[in-house]
Amino acid sequence: MSQTPQLLFKNRKAGETVFMPEYRASGGYQGLEKALRTMTPQDIRELVKAAGLRGRGGAGFPTGVKWGFFPADAPGVKYLVCNCDEMEPGTYKDGVLLQADPHQLVEGMILSAFALQTQVGYIFIRYAYERQASNLRKAISEATAAGYLGKNILGSGFDFELHVHGSAGRYILGEETALLNGLEGIRPNPRLKPPFPATRGLFGRPTTVNNVETLANIPHIVMGGAQWFKDLAMTTDGSGTKLFGLSGHLNCTECFELPVGIPLREVIETYGQGMWRNKQFKACLPGGASTPYLTGEHLDVPLDFGTLEKVGSRFGTAGVTAFDEDTCMVAATLNLIRFFARESCGWCTPCRDGLNLVKWLLEQFESGTGTSDHLLMLKEQLRNISGNSFCALAEGAMGPVAGLLAHFEQEIVDHIDQGRCPFHR
Amino acid sequence: MVTLTIDNQTVTVPAGTTVLEAAQKLGIVVPHLCYHKELGAVGSCRMCAVMIHKGTLTGLKMSCLIAVEEGMVVTTTDERSMALREQVGEWLMLNHPHDCPVCDEGGECQLQEMTIAVGHGRRRYTGKKHTYPNQDLGPFIAQEMNRCIHCYRCARTYKDYCGGRDFGVMGSRNRVTFGRFADGMLQSDFSGNLIDFCPTGVFTDRTFRFTSRFWDLQEADSVCSHCGVGCAVIPGGRLHQLQRVRSGTNAAVNGSFLCDRGRFGFDYGRHPERPRRARRDGQEVAVDVALEALMSDARALIDAEGPEAVLLLGSERASLESNWLLQRLAKELGCRVPVLSPHARRHQAAQAVAFDLSHQLASLADVRTADVAVVFGVDPLAEAPLLALALRQIVRQGGRVVVCDPRPVELPFAFEHQPLSPLALHELLGGGDMDGKHLRDLLRQAKQPVLVAGADLLGTAGLRHVHSLAQRIATDDRACPIYPVLAGANSFGAALLSLPEQDDLMTRLEGDHVRMMICLETDPLVEGPDGKPLGERLARLEKLVVFDYLPTAVAARADTFIPTCPPVEASGTFINSEGRLRRFERVLAPGASLAHKEDGAHPPRAFFLTQPDSEPLPAPRLLQRLLGGETSLAQIQAEMVMDRPRLAALPQLKAGEEGERVAATVARALPEEKLPEQPAGTLQLVVSPARYGSDLLSRYARQLTPRLTTACVYLHPEDAERHGVQEGDRVDLDTRFGRFTLPLALSETLARGCALVENSAALPEPIPGSGISFCRIGRGGANG
Repeated sequence: MSQTPQLLFKNRKAGETVFMPEYRASGGYQGLEKALRTMTPQDIRELVKAAGLRGRGGAGFPTGVKWGFFPADAPGVKYLVCNCDEMEPGTYKDGVLLQADPHQLVEGMILSAFALQTQVGYIFIRYAYERQASNLRKAISEATAAGYLGKNILGSGFDFELHVHGSAGRYILGEETALLNGLEGIRPNPRLKPPFPATRGLFGRPTTVNNVETLANIPHIVMGGAQWFKDLAMTTDGSGTKLFGLSGHLNCTECFELPVGIPLREVIETYGQGMWRNKQFKACLPGGASTPYLTGEHLDVPLDFGTLEKVGSRFGTAGVTAFDEDTCMVAATLNLIRFFARESCGWCTPCRDGLNLVKWLLEQFESGTGTSDHLLMLKEQLRNISGNSFCALAEGAMGPVAGLLAHFEQEIVDHIDQGRCPFHR
Repeated sequence: MVTLTIDNQTVTVPAGTTVLEAAQKLGIVVPHLCYHKELGAVGSCRMCAVMIHKGTLTGLKMSCLIAVEEGMVVTTTDERSMALREQVGEWLMLNHPHDCPVCDEGGECQLQEMTIAVGHGRRRYTGKKHTYPNQDLGPFIAQEMNRCIHCYRCARTYKDYCGGRDFGVMGSRNRVTFGRFADGMLQSDFSGNLIDFCPTGVFTDRTFRFTSRFWDLQEADSVCSHCGVGCAVIPGGRLHQLQRVRSGTNAAVNGSFLCDRGRFGFDYGRHPERPRRARRDGQEVAVDVALEALMSDARALIDAEGPEAVLLLGSERASLESNWLLQRLAKELGCRVPVLSPHARRHQAAQAVAFDLSHQLASLADVRTADVAVVFGVDPLAEAPLLALALRQIVRQGGRVVVCDPRPVELPFAFEHQPLSPLALHELLGGGDMDGKHLRDLLRQAKQPVLVAGADLLGTAGLRHVHSLAQRIATDDRACPIYPVLAGANSFGAALLSLPEQDDLMTRLEGDHVRMMICLETDPLVEGPDGKPLGERLARLEKLVVFDYLPTAVAARADTFIPTCPPVEASGTFINSEGRLRRFERVLAPGASLAHKEDGAHPPRAFFLTQPDSEPLPAPRLLQRLLGGETSLAQIQAEMVMDRPRLAALPQLKAGEEGERVAATVARALPEEKLPEQPAGTLQLVVSPARYGSDLLSRYARQLTPRLTTACVYLHPEDAERHGVQEGDRVDLDTRFGRFTLPLALSETLARGCALVENSAALPEPIPGSGISFCRIGRGGANG
């Protein structure tokens, strides 16, 4: 139903998973064959940089730049790790992708491993993604049988082995250095940076951690080229397509592959088929639970990293959660904060204790016992937590709180003035 | 060096220093909790925020994580960083109980100080506080988890620095707890460091609970006297009772760490049977009466029988000043020079260290920063626990540790153990090649190699071999120092004072010339290897005089007993194994404890002009009275320097400071020692000190009882099979010290061909450091 060129979802069929014969029939592994026969690792790294691919895991860091920090030519063991610990509320695109077409990730990882000259790869996968993990294991064994994995891949002299490793199932494991600790089998607290994983990562060796969707884009970039990939986007400085996971008060809550830079209105009205029960749009999280809210005034904003930053939000993972006019934004934010406070690893004070104080403050408003002093305290929390926590978890957790205070402060005041939740009828 | 500006003051510090440490140098305290100078920075508490105005990274930053840069401009008192620090204070106090008035940490609580420092004073959170279950961590450490502020210092101390395995972090979010998997006594020999490193009252000293408030304690800088390492300690007491010991800081020796033997084994000085009154012929007498009688007895005997008639015995437990004054007393009386140790072989080995190795000694800090250490004949946890911690730091930094020792050495880190019998160890060191090449290659490739040598097992001959190995490894640009392990707190000092070529105790006691013996703070019956023959010889003496503060076996047999003071009740000097002068100051005066009785009764209501039981005097003062005139300690020390120029640093020495090392001297020329032949069918006897209860002080420290182990004989399983004995059997061990009947335990990591016993209160004989000897083993007569 989408008119966008379908890269990642081109083989997607409801309820089915595509494996080797169909993947190869649809052009799969041609990118790998092309790269190993005609390109140097340096060529691929430059191509990815030129394509302007930005990380799809939420932070949006340019993949080519990240790879530029990687000591690809250094001797010794190096690792490529795929972050598939997807568990932020409202974000489920990696799960859909791996349920549809797991070989894309396998091919993407082999290509990336070649570009970065890493010999071992791990796919660190959320514990709940059992089917996706078994899809990947099957894809890896098919790829090994076909000679795409193992020693001397396609006669190029390049070796690469790939493993699937289950996560213990906490949100913090999606943080790349906590993930590395988890993979090593130790307590998954984030690590101090520097040293960055590119210098000292998994088991103390140079490591790159990339998201599933990021890696799955690599074969397409190799086949289509940098300019083609940039042209897929609707904004001039954007590039590629993006998997949008729709959720919330919409008539259609599915995952779509859409061009980067698509206006929010089109996502809500065309793909989400409008708000449910003929309600009005009130707000949405544009990129998962850690992004500040967008409101009705932002409906014509193109959804891209740069454009959303300009309006005080973030593109994140493009998991769009929409809220209708009857939603209490205080309650919605409290719901999100409960998740983040529960998922804090407990390492740094702002996250471990600060988020709980935020949770308590929102509970005061919602239960009608909040005061203007509490509102003042909430503003102090936003100022003191954001930017001052050890890793990005608390920073992200304060995203919705920032949105709440930016766009819905009056709703908090209404809670205080009425001594109850105005939406609770 | 890097120069930067903090709060408009410039400071110059070495590159790599953090902003927090640079500020400390200026006297600016940036409030912090998770940072500790021994543990480093991890950035978890987020309290030490400062504003960086100029530098690579600008803005609000954690000062513990940012390295100084040239020209950096930092403020610590700007609105933004102060606001964040106050906020962190509020977060940390959200769930912290307001039980400071009944908390043992009160008054020495870093959280109290930092909460005040950040300006958090008003509680705005009115919700429920979290509570946690507490664990029973054994008799030494009390846990009160509700007070935890999650700085992770405990786990970083116990697990990361000390290598303990039964303690860790559990849970997540604001339910993180720190403790053991299940209740039970903490297994690490360094568990007490939790008390010092916890910045608040989660881990407190259970032996000290409810006895004193911190501000009521009398404290002074002192030195631990349980072994030769000489760690800095700060004992604290009140009402004439020593109540606890906490770690002091000495960067060259123990850093800020202490082992459990030193921390909890302090109560020997308050042993209920501690002799506190002078005694003569079974009657209590005034100290001066006893001293006078002692002098006239000695003079009469020397006049009648000659200088051989009186024998003075000093010790490795007595201070440098006491031993030196004992030498003066010998001169005064006109008798022969004193013997300064009841254990001849240990004393000779200590002399080898104090003289022959003196220009090549490593400090414990040198061990910590080495990249390769080869340990010969030491079981660090038993003989010098802090050495085990120092060696662990080598491995943490990626270095290697090799231990050549017959015992089944266990250490809190990964190391290579070469289980060599005492004879094999001597052959290895003496040039027999075996595995020596591998070790030499390892040492030659090292950037900072260090050797560790155990005086007890190696003896003089072995120490000299280690010395020549070190000289072969050392090059012009790479030293190879030796860290020696000596048994007593002042073994080095006693050895340094000893005059060359003097006879040992048993030789001096041969025949019947000696009629009177004066023992200064030693029990030769227990601390020397010749307990039985010595006991018989002492019975033939006319006079036996004992100065001591412990209720020892020899004190019970003395005709004249004069009470002295343990180090916490006296000031003085020890020289530790590495030749470092270590001053200790008096913490409290002797006397009967005025502390409340356990039944809740009041302190004594009777009043006296003097403190009851305050008769004991420090040994140097008693000896000065014998010499006929008391002077200050400083004056004694000035005279000592005149007498012994190697002690030149003595007058400037201050308690609590790092302490200078004694001047080095040239090695002596000594004849080679021959190794004994092993008779067929025998095993080599290895005598090790037990971790607890081997040194005399810890034997009288009743608080250490929970850590005591039972005595047994250890064999390698192959040797057990060869000799037809099984684990759990009662076996007879026939040694040159007599027959010992003990249960048998097997150990895979014990050297083959050896039988190991551990010296402790449960097995007071044989004594470690008695040289190579052999034994036979057989199934015991009566089983069970």
